Amino acid sequence: MTGKLRWRDYKSDMGIVWCPGCGNYGLLTALHRALAELELPPEQVAVASGIGCSGRVSGYMRTYGIHGVHGRALPIAQGIKLAKPELTVIAAGGDGDGLSIGAGHFPHAARRNTDITYILFDNHVYGLTKGHVSPTSPLGHITPSSVYGTLDEPLDPLALALVYKAPFIARGFSADLRRLTPILKEAIAFPGFSFVQVLSPCVTFRGRSEFDAIRERAYYLGDDYDQTNRQAAFALTEVPERLALGVIYKAWERRLNLHEKVVTIQQEAEAQSPPEPVEELVRIFEP
Amino acid sequence: MNRISHTLKYPLHPISHNPSGVDYTVRNLTLGIIGAGGDGVITIGELLTSSAAHEGLHVMNTKSYGPQIRGGEAATMVRFSECPVLSQGDSLDVLVAFNWRDFGRFAGELIVRPDTVVLHDPHDRNDPPPEIAAQGRHLYQVPFEQLARDTAGTSLAKNIICIGLLGALFNLPLNHTRAALERKFARKGPKVVEANRKALMAGETFVHEIARSDDVRLDWERDEMQLVLTGNDAVSYGALYAGCRFFAGYPITPGSEILGWMSRQLPRYGGYAIQPEDEIAAIGMVVGASFAGVKAMTATSGPGFALMSEMLGLASIMELPLVVVNVQRVGPSTGIPTKTEQADLDIALHGTHGDSPRVVLAPTTMATSFAAGIQAFYIAEKYQLPVIILTDQFLAARKDTIPRERLTRHKDFDKIARRLPPTPRQLAQYQRYSPAPDGVSPMSHPGMARGMYHATGLEHTTQGYPTSNGEKHQQMSHKRCTKLEAIARDLKFHRRHGSGEARVGVVTWGSSEGAVREAIEQLTAEGYAISIFVPVLLRPLPVDELQVYLDGLDQLVVVEMSYAGQFMHHLRAYIQLPARTAHYKRAGGRPFTVTEIREQLLPLVNPRTARPRQPESGP
Repeated sequence: MTGKLRWRDYKSDMGIVWCPGCGNYGLLTALHRALAELELPPEQVAVASGIGCSGRVSGYMRTYGIHGVHGRALPIAQGIKLAKPELTVIAAGGDGDGLSIGAGHFPHAARRNTDITYILFDNHVYGLTKGHVSPTSPLGHITPSSVYGTLDEPLDPLALALVYKAPFIARGFSADLRRLTPILKEAIAFPGFSFVQVLSPCVTFRGRSEFDAIRERAYYLGDDYDQTNRQAAFALTEVPERLALGVIYKAWERRLNLHEKVVTIQQEAEAQSPPEPVEELVRIFEP
Repeated sequence: MNRISHTLKYPLHPISHNPSGVDYTVRNLTLGIIGAGGDGVITIGELLTSSAAHEGLHVMNTKSYGPQIRGGEAATMVRFSECPVLSQGDSLDVLVAFNWRDFGRFAGELIVRPDTVVLHDPHDRNDPPPEIAAQGRHLYQVPFEQLARDTAGTSLAKNIICIGLLGALFNLPLNHTRAALERKFARKGPKVVEANRKALMAGETFVHEIARSDDVRLDWERDEMQLVLTGNDAVSYGALYAGCRFFAGYPITPGSEILGWMSRQLPRYGGYAIQPEDEIAAIGMVVGASFAGVKAMTATSGPGFALMSEMLGLASIMELPLVVVNVQRVGPSTGIPTKTEQADLDIALHGTHGDSPRVVLAPTTMATSFAAGIQAFYIAEKYQLPVIILTDQFLAARKDTIPRERLTRHKDFDKIARRLPPTPRQLAQYQRYSPAPDGVSPMSHPGMARGMYHATGLEHTTQGYPTSNGEKHQQMSHKRCTKLEAIARDLKFHRRHGSGEARVGVVTWGSSEGAVREAIEQLTAEGYAISIFVPVLLRPLPVDELQVYLDGLDQLVVVEMSYAGQFMHHLRAYIQLPARTAHYKRAGGRPFTVTEIREQLLPLVNPRTARPRQPESGP
């Protein structure tokens, strides 16, 4: 690549299917900008996404993109990273994709500490199927599948990430491009599993007022907030009526990520028993 | 001197009185050992197997366990032969029962004949089962436990006593056992090594205490050392050989050994094997790794394979190379996890939504399992689609001997393909799914400049952009399905044995080949003309070759281990079968026996086309 990369260099020419006013537009632009500011060559970036409105994001990137099956962005992203650790790998999916059908992958991606960034496009609803209730929908939310209001308590993605020991946890708001871009940048640059919940309102099924509702409840964490204090981070999740934005938690101690541990294992295995040409490995079957 | 050969003398009939002076040594001996957990039964089988392999004998070693995780009853069967062993042995020539209670639990698996030689520990207070009690002729009491305590100071050594005695009684090769025992117990110190050496010797010496009423004694020509491996080992090694460097797998019986094998070997070769949270994550990681440009595989068994169905469709539509091993076990659902069956054929061939082309390879032996590991990657990488290796518990979990050259010299071993990379010119205006006569378009991977593309499970255009246009879907379906035709032209992967002029033939698949082949060898030796055709490539089926084979037959027998007859349905979908087609099928749970297959084939062997010849004598 010659010359400085601009955010448009990361934008594909695929037509976008999101509704006008969708929160995902802001998030998409913030992602383009974060990659440009990090000066990551587009061919060194892979975006794995799930199914849902947010799943389309991998197609809107002029990077490598893989748009898999519902709920499985994390396993695919981890497979890419394990196979080619030099790549920058981003997993993206919605609240239904990641906390309902794919919820079983979240704790394991976090505890494995693969060096990927997981962006949760949280709109509290299943937009693509036309407005069904999601695991982050508020209690009593009325949808085509919860006609009398949902009876299930909503999940808090940040609390989950904390319990799962994700070493980097942040929350952003898609309508605030200026503050979201640096959050994504920091998450992508973080050398381990980083989780970013992005509040990305669905104007079609939750109304335009959603933006204002979030603005009323949200505030940015100040410099006095200790990002390395897990207890403080948990305390934030205990106050659901207020939405703290910014880096919620960042492990103070640098934990080795999965790839770094794999390299150690590879070195140990080779030292223990130096690899012979594969054709000669047949010796292990000698009686 | 009259020798009783492998093929002519079956099943084995040792004759207790030997007035004629004929040498009744045998060249084929099946041994079964049954005991409780801690009796060391499995170790006996393994030590005898490796010792025999060392001297160039051919062996098949199967194991069977009770439902307990640890400490339950266990049985092992070892069949020794001078010729390659094709099946597990229908019935036992020799039985060792440490106690009769456990023997009852393997009823139906270890078949005892009236002339089976039986060794039993009198320490066991249980009464022998009626069929043994009634037999009485070759029943020997051996105080294994007492001998172990007296010589090694612990009853734990009774399996070593047993090995020594079996070696001396039946002339089994033991030279290598001494060295193997020393290696095995070296870590536990010289005292333990010495105790085991004494136990082995005590077992050998005890032979003089036995007044024999049988003449069973194994004889063989010493040959080149054989290798010993399981089907799971063979597939794993084939995959590594082919360049597989990423593996993800979730534990499941009987497929887990592949995960273990890969976990040990891949890091040595700069790769990695991971155990993720479930089978969906396993195949998901394999999808990711393959997208990133690394040869990747997963392995599982029935229930796990069912979970992977959705991702197999994804790999099909994305045109991603990947390899999935499904070690079949009895189904549906949890079924019988430790027993064999061939009823995952339908799901392997078709199991996902949509038209989803994939390749299915079904190896039949250790050698074809190894070759399938190589072939699977060759096909997956060259044609950019998922390839399924369909093995089964019987093939995957047992141990067979195999000559070294079957794993070192083979025409398939050069078949290492890389996926087709785009040329610089193609990259100037890269279209990931550009049309091609054989359906294969150039494939970039992350890290490749200007190769960026979007792989999606949505139907897409040649550029990889989503489309809901029916005409485009028709074109893309054609592109993906065309690959199967190209593969059918490119690869010939089937096996044929028996007489070329035979008018009676058998078509079967997978591990069932063994018992059928042995039955056919027997019938051939008896003067009947009969042959067998086994497609290893099950999708696409070698239709032309199969049709030519069938055109030469008057009578076909299809043999399979599926109650519903899945293989027959598959054949009927592609092939015009002869008017006279018999079908032998049954549910799994136990491998086919030679006797069982023989009973099916014998009445069908047509005397007009099969000229009975004089049985030949001697080897």
